[in-house]
Amino acid sequence: MDEMVDGRGGLRPHWRSLIGAFSALGEGGLRERALRLDRAFEEEGVTAVLPGASATALAWRCDPVPLPLPAAEFADLEAGLAQRARLLEAVLDDLYGPQTLLADGTLPPALAFANPAFLRAGRFMDTPSRLQFYAADLMRGPDGAWRVLADRTAGASGVGFARENRRLLARVLPEAFRPVQVRQLRPFFDIWQDSLRRMAPPHGTRPDRMNPTIALLTPGTGHPQWFEHMYLSRELSCALVEGGDLTVRGGAVFLKTLRGLQRVDVLLRRLDGRMIDPLELEPGSLIGVPGLLDAARTGAIRISNDPGSGAVEAPALSAFLPQLCLRLLDERLLLPSVPTMWLGEPRARALVQQDPGRWLIRPAMDGSAQAVAPLSLEPEDRAALLARIEARPWDWAASAAIQPSMAPCLDGDRLTPRPVVMRLFLVHDGTRWQALQGGLARVMDEHDRLAGHLPRGGLSKDVWVLNEERGDIVGPPVMPAQRLAIRRASGDLPSRVADNLFWFGRYVERLERAARLVRAAVARLARGAALLPREIGELQSLARCLAEAGCIRSEAASPAATATLAEALLASVREGGSIFGYFGEVGRLTESVRDRLTGDMYATFTQALRTVRADAALVGRSLDGLSHAMVSILRYSTAVAGVAAESMVRGGGWLFLDLGRRVERAQEVASEVAIAIDQPPPRIETGLRLVLELCDSAITYRSRYLNVLQPATVLDLVLADQGNPRGLAFQLVAMHTLLDELTAAGPGREQLAGAAAGLLAELEALVQGVMEADDQAVAAAALPAHLAAIGSGIAALSDRITRRYFALLPVAQTLGMAAEPEAIILKGVA
Amino acid sequence: MRYRVGHTTTYVYADQVDLASHMLHLAPRSLPGQRVLAATLTASPHPTRAHESRDHFGNNVAWMFLDQPHDRFEVTVSAEVEVSFAPPPPPGETPAWELVAAAARAGGHDAWVAAEFAFDSPMIPAEPAAQAYAAPSFPAGRPILEALLDLNARIRREFTFKAGVTGINTPVSKVLAQRAGVCQDFTHLMIAALRAHGLPARYVSGYLRTRPPPGVPPRRGADQSHAWVGAWMGPQHGWVDLDPTNNLVVRDEHVVLAWGRDYGDISPVRGVILGGGRHSVSVGVDLEAI
Repeated sequence: MDEMVDGRGGLRPHWRSLIGAFSALGEGGLRERALRLDRAFEEEGVTAVLPGASATALAWRCDPVPLPLPAAEFADLEAGLAQRARLLEAVLDDLYGPQTLLADGTLPPALAFANPAFLRAGRFMDTPSRLQFYAADLMRGPDGAWRVLADRTAGASGVGFARENRRLLARVLPEAFRPVQVRQLRPFFDIWQDSLRRMAPPHGTRPDRMNPTIALLTPGTGHPQWFEHMYLSRELSCALVEGGDLTVRGGAVFLKTLRGLQRVDVLLRRLDGRMIDPLELEPGSLIGVPGLLDAARTGAIRISNDPGSGAVEAPALSAFLPQLCLRLLDERLLLPSVPTMWLGEPRARALVQQDPGRWLIRPAMDGSAQAVAPLSLEPEDRAALLARIEARPWDWAASAAIQPSMAPCLDGDRLTPRPVVMRLFLVHDGTRWQALQGGLARVMDEHDRLAGHLPRGGLSKDVWVLNEERGDIVGPPVMPAQRLAIRRASGDLPSRVADNLFWFGRYVERLERAARLVRAAVARLARGAALLPREIGELQSLARCLAEAGCIRSEAASPAATATLAEALLASVREGGSIFGYFGEVGRLTESVRDRLTGDMYATFTQALRTVRADAALVGRSLDGLSHAMVSILRYSTAVAGVAAESMVRGGGWLFLDLGRRVERAQEVASEVAIAIDQPPPRIETGLRLVLELCDSAITYRSRYLNVLQPATVLDLVLADQGNPRGLAFQLVAMHTLLDELTAAGPGREQLAGAAAGLLAELEALVQGVMEADDQAVAAAALPAHLAAIGSGIAALSDRITRRYFALLPVAQTLGMAAEPEAIILKGVA
Repeated sequence: MRYRVGHTTTYVYADQVDLASHMLHLAPRSLPGQRVLAATLTASPHPTRAHESRDHFGNNVAWMFLDQPHDRFEVTVSAEVEVSFAPPPPPGETPAWELVAAAARAGGHDAWVAAEFAFDSPMIPAEPAAQAYAAPSFPAGRPILEALLDLNARIRREFTFKAGVTGINTPVSKVLAQRAGVCQDFTHLMIAALRAHGLPARYVSGYLRTRPPPGVPPRRGADQSHAWVGAWMGPQHGWVDLDPTNNLVVRDEHVVLAWGRDYGDISPVRGVILGGGRHSVSVGVDLEAI
C-alpha cells in the first residue's frame, strides 16, 4: 500500500496540493530545504541523545515530506484510540484492584504475574485515574486499514519531537502549508497542562489549588529523551526535577529549593515506574524518591501516569483486547491491533511452527523490544529461538508479519517510497480523551522490524491532519488562576540547578585559565633553544601553575623537562587529558541547566563548545594547533560571559553562575601570583612581568607606569585594584556583592558576605605592607605564604556556599535488601 | 498450640541518620489454622509518621518514617498467636505433579492465585541446576505430596546447616555447589526446584518455637527469623507448608508471618536511610509456648 499513490498510479487527493507546492520549488529546491531543516535541528540542539556527552551527538532528523491524513480518516483513528485508552485504563483498574479478569480466566495469570511492569506495590492503591496520557504506534497494512502495533501507557516519548518537527518544518518550508489547512498542535499542550493542574489533590491548608506545583520527574541529562523532558517542562510550565531534588516529609512530597522545601502536588512521571521509589520498588534505584509511593497512596501527590501503568504495554495483551473490550466496556473494539498471539497458548505455538514465515516473534511483556522474523535466522539460531519459546512459552508473543505502508521520502533529488509507522498521542482532559491533531511518523530501516522505540538517528516525519473546512479545534477554556504575588528573585530555583550553575561558572573559568596558561607556555616552547634565561624561568613558573591547576602532572613540570612539558600539554586536550575532561564537564553542566537558558543562549554555548572540541581534535602533535585551540577556548569563555551578562535575569540563576566564576578566578589569581613571585628578591622582576601577562594586565600597567616594573605597583594592579576584572580584589568585591544579595533576606549574611569582605581587607593590608616596605622586592618575596592563606580562605568560603545552598546530602543506603552491612549508594536523595 | 512471639530488630549506626523510611513485614497474618490474638508493633525512636495496611499478597505491612536525627533504630513486635494447621492429605491420594503444573498454567478458577508463584521472581531466577537436583524426586506420574516430601527430606539430608557461608543475595546455584547454607537458602533452593517443574511455590517467613516439645531434638533456625516453603498441591488440596531445614511438615511448631515470591517481597525490615555510615543489625526472636 502506498500512502501517496493509489492502485492505478494516480495521486491520492490529499497529497495533491503538497506535491504541487514541492514542484513549485523547482529543481533541487526540496533538497535545499531538507538541508536547511537538518541544520535547524542541529542549531536548536534537538537531539535524541545527550549532546554534551560526546562530540558526535546525533541530531534529530525530519524528512521535509510530511505524512498528510484526511480529517475523516483521522477522526476514526482518534475515536479508536480513545476507546483503547479507556479500555487499557479499565484493565489497569482491574489488575491493580479486584483482579476479576484473572479470576474468571479472561486473562491468563502470566499477563500480570510474569510481567515485570506489573508493580505489586501498586496493588489496592486508591487513585481517581491511572492513565492521563496515552500513545500508540500504528501501521497501515496492505488492505489500507490502520492497526495498532504497540500501546504506550507508561509515558511515551515523541510528542515534543512532533512539535519541534512542525515548528521547524513550518519555518523552512512555509510554501507547503499555504494551500491547505493543517491542524494546530498547540491546543493539545494546553489541554495537557490543564489536565495536570486538575489532578492536583485538594489540600486543607492550601486554598491555591488553581496554582498547584507540577513537576516533571526525569532521570536526568544522561537519559536519551532528556531533550524532550526539558522541552515538555517548558511547554507544560512545570518544574524539571530529578529524584534527588525531591524529598518526602510527613507523607507529602517537596522540592528542595533555595528558599526551602516547596510542596509538589502533581508529578509528571518520565521515569520508569519501577525506579521511582527505592523503599518499595527497585531497591538500588539511584533516581527514585524513597516514600514516594506512600505519598501517592495517601493522595498527597498524584503521579501521571500511574507508576504501574506500564503493565498494559505488554504486546501479548493485544491478543486479548477484543474480548476485554466486550467484557469491560460492552463495546466492539474499534481499532484492532496487528494480529497478535500469546505463545503461552499451545494452539498459538502450533500455528507459528506450521507457518513461521507469517509471524514475527517478540517478547510477550516488553513492548520496546525488537521483533524477529524466524525465517530470517540461520537454522541453528531459529532452532534455539524455538527451544527458548518451548521452555518459557509465556514469555513470548507472535505478531503477523505485515508489510507497512510506504510513504514518499526525499532521497537525493527524488521521492522514494519507504515503510513508515506512526505514533499518535492522546491526553485525558478530565472528561474525555483528546488526540494531538498530528503525530510523529518514523521511517523504518530494513533491519528494524516492528521495533517499538523511536528512531535513534533515523528519519522522522511530521504527520499532518488536514482540515476539510475552515475553523480549528479550540483549546480548553482557561482555568481561573489566582492573582500571583510579584517576585523579583528566583528563590524557587531548585538547589540542584543552583549547584549546577555554580559549577558551570567554575568550570568555564577553569577552562579559560587552562587555556591562558597553556597558550603562555606554548609561546615559549615554540621558540625552542632560543629561549633567554629569563624565559626559562617563566616557563618553569608556568609549568608549576599548570601542575597546580591540575592540567598536567607535577613530574612534567620539573625544571629540566621542556620536551616532557610539550608532550604533557599536547596530551591534555586528547581523550583522557585534563582539558578534554573539562569539555565534558562543561557540556554536561550546560545540558543540566538547559531549561534555565533561552534557546539563543543554549545555541551560543553549545556551538562555541563544538568549535572548541573540533579545534582540539585537530591538534595532533602540533604546538601551533594547540595554541589555536586555546584561542578558541578563550573565545568560548568570552562568549559565555557575554551572553550571561546580557541575557540572564539577575535573579538566583545568574547569581550562582557569576559566583562560581568569581570564586574560581579568585583562587586562580591568588595561586598564580604566589607562584610567579616565588623568586629570590633580585629576580622578582621576572615574576612581576609574568604576573602581568597571566592577569592580562600588561597594557593597563604600561599605560599607568610605562616600562618601570616595581613590586608595589604591579601587585596593586593585580591584587588590590577593585577596578581590574582580572585582579583578585575585583573578584572578592563581586563575591561580596553577590553573597550580600543572596543572603539579604536570610541568615548567613555575616558568615558569607562578611567572609568575602574580610578576605578583601586582608588582601589590601598585604599590598599596603609591600608599598610601605623599605625593600619592596624582599617584602613581595614574602607574599606567597600569605596569598596561599587567602586562597584557603576562598576555598573555605566556597565550601560554606555549597553547604548553605546546595544541601550537601549524606549518603543514602538501603536496609534489609542487600547483604548487610554493604551499602548501596544513592546520590543526593533526601 | 498457643505462642507468645517476641521479635526485636535493632540497627545501630556509626553516624547520625537524618531521614529514614522503613517498610516492615513484622505482624503475623491471620489465616486458616492460625489465629492472631494480639499483635503490637513498637519502635524507638518514635516515628514521625506511621501507618499499616495489607500488601498484594495479603500480608500485614507497616510503614514508618523518621525525620529526626537518630543513631539507633529499634522495632519490636509482640504477638500472641494460636496455630494448628490441618494435617496434609494422605500423599498417595494427591494428584500427579504434572497435573498440578498443568492446572497452574491454565489459570482461572482457583488456580490463578497459585499461578503467580510458578513464575520466576527477582531473587529466584530460573536455575537449571535446581531442576536437575530435584528431578529424581519427580518421576513421571508421582503424586505431588510424595514428591514434595521426598525433596524436603533430601534437602535436609544432603545439605549442611551452616551460618555465615551465605548472605541475603546468595544465588541458588552457589547454595547447590557448596551444599550448605541456612533456612533462607534451602527455601530458595526448593522453590527454584519446584518452579522449574512448573509448580507454584512460595516463600514463607515466620518463626519456629524456641524450645522444642519434650523428647524432640532441637530444631535448626529457632531463635531467629525462619523461612520455609509453601507448595501448591492443586485446586483440591491447596497449599502445604514444608520446612526443608528441618524436614518437617508445618503443623504447630511454626508461626507464619508473611509470604511472597521470595525474600525480597517480604523482607522483615526494609528501609532507605540518609547518612548513618556503617551500620550493624541485630535480631532477637523468641517464640515461647504458653
